[in-house]
Amino acid sequence: MKPPAQEPGLAKTVAELPRNLWTSIFRNPLPSSDLGRSATSFTNFFLHIHPVKVHQNTLRPLYTLGLGLISLFLFLILAVTGVLLMFYYVPSTGQAYDRMLDLRGSVAFGTFLRNMHRWAAHGMVAAVFLHMCRVFFTGAYKKPREFNWVIGVGLFLLTMFASFTGYLLPWDQLAFWAITVGAAIAGYAPVLGKSMQFILLGDYTVGQEALLRFYVLHVVVLPALMVLLIAVHFWRIRKDGGLSRPEEPVEDKPLYSMKMVAGTTGLEPGEKTIGLMGFVRGPFTKVGNVPDRSVYSWPNLLIAELFVFVLTVAGVLVVSLLFNAPLEEPVNIMHPPNPAKAPWYFLGLQEMVSYSAFWGGIGIPTIEVLILLALPYLDRRPIGVGQWFARERLLANTLFLLFAVVNVILIVIGTFFRGPNWTFVSPW
Amino acid sequence: MTANPPATDKTSRRSVLNWLSSVALFGSAVVSVFSNLVFMKPRATYGAPSRFSIGRPEDFPSGTRISLDARRVCIVREGDRLAAISTTCTHLGCIVGVAETGFACPCHGSRFDQDGNVTGGPAPKPLPWYSINLTPNGELTVDTSVEVQQGAYFQV
Ligand code: HEM
Ligand code: FES
Repeated sequence: MKPPAQEPGLAKTVAELPRNLWTSIFRNPLPSSDLGRSATSFTNFFLHIHPVKVHQNTLRPLYTLGLGLISLFLFLILAVTGVLLMFYYVPSTGQAYDRMLDLRGSVAFGTFLRNMHRWAAHGMVAAVFLHMCRVFFTGAYKKPREFNWVIGVGLFLLTMFASFTGYLLPWDQLAFWAITVGAAIAGYAPVLGKSMQFILLGDYTVGQEALLRFYVLHVVVLPALMVLLIAVHFWRIRKDGGLSRPEEPVEDKPLYSMKMVAGTTGLEPGEKTIGLMGFVRGPFTKVGNVPDRSVYSWPNLLIAELFVFVLTVAGVLVVSLLFNAPLEEPVNIMHPPNPAKAPWYFLGLQEMVSYSAFWGGIGIPTIEVLILLALPYLDRRPIGVGQWFARERLLANTLFLLFAVVNVILIVIGTFFRGPNWTFVSPW
Repeated sequence: MTANPPATDKTSRRSVLNWLSSVALFGSAVVSVFSNLVFMKPRATYGAPSRFSIGRPEDFPSGTRISLDARRVCIVREGDRLAAISTTCTHLGCIVGVAETGFACPCHGSRFDQDGNVTGGPAPKPLPWYSINLTPNGELTVDTSVEVQQGAYFQV
């Protein structure tokens, strides 16, 4: 007969409590072996989004510039500060503006949180745009990452729309006139334009209905869609074989090769396969036949991410300490400010709109978005991937640079060179 | 299923059922999207009424051009002729200001003459004129849901 299990004494139970608690949450001790490092990544709910190993190129700061991560962290900062602001904000034309003043005057850290939310929003628009540029200039949208680029374009549009809806909420002069103009642009869309404008505003002009609608879009609908798309975006990064990188010379070492035969289910009799991986189709990290230039995600990737996170938060904090988010006069329908300017990232659009409402506000932007969406399906040459400004992609890169620069110039003109009645002025 | 031998009774019944259920499923999806859109479109609005009183004819001596910004309309009186010209810019809906030469928009620089014709800037259409009526008790009303031709003044 086995001796009965020893009953642990009370003192021992208490003494071991912290340790037991810790190990019940974290299954693995801090890893000291490769096996441990792998286990750390995939036994932890929050870490298992990472692959066990990542390629060294992924961690090169100068490759991604961390822009995707910065976008993500700004989004998280926006979610946290946004929820906090919701505790004080009321989406009513009678109260919204007063609530802004309350945040300033009678809420601890109110101004600061509002600053953080505002500057993180501006930063996110910039970061997402720059991230898109990075992806283009490194040719990272090419096969098999076409669809992730498409999801990215969706994220870009959602980011812009979220900023647009957020802009109305303070219910100040800037908000009111920017949204009046923005919604009127939607009215120029062919056939459905007027209905779209009406549904967006819930009325013929910007008023209580519009404020409520924009609020719901801003705090629920758009963030929910963004969370969904971001999740798919990240999932696809892994399923597309990790981040793009320059092609590596393949050594022929058939012993461990895992061959995927096109058009079959993957398993052919007589073929050497390894583990379960063989059942999952897709562009996977191949085992054994490439020189191993990958490192363990724990701790390498994690530290890189933490670094970008701290940098992003620090940036937002510093800017929020130094600059206050603007708040203009309360809405006064009698007196549009002159000039009535949209937020900077829409000033390129406003500049184009000042030539033609349809072409500037609907036609050209729609064409631009369609081209962006179609891009990875038009440019099929699998060259120049994983490298900034690859020689072979001179034409594509020049065109995209032109596109980016034209947009920036339009924004600069709209921001600095337009005065009262949208006449041309010199900033000096 | 597709690779099955020529349709027997059984497979064709099954494919009809498949077809029917797909149509039903797809149909309900379309209907629910549509009903949500309908839901989003308000049947009544809470905005300002389109018909409102502006006062008595004596309130507007000849030569006045008074912009009632809250109503988004400018009342013009020349001699015994009255007109109500919209001050909503036909470009993107800002409120135009009364200027010496007519109207000027602060948003993208559209300019209009005294009658509301476009003289510059991106505005695609002239400012519309609204109908004016005199009620039995001697008050003038403007109805912004009824546009009249430019130059169709109201005689007092
Ligand atoms: C809310 C917005 C977005 C977030 C949070 C986000 C996040 C990320 C992150 C964290 C990465 C990993 C690599 C890196 O940091 O650069 C990434 C990669 C990628 N993103 Fe985004 N992204 C966003 C928007 C976009 C946009 C606008 C596009 C393009 C139109 C895009 C296309 C891609 C592609 C193709 C990759 C793979 C790049 C590669 O394999 O080298 N993303 N994204
Ligand atoms: S809204 Fe008047 S010029 Fe654009």
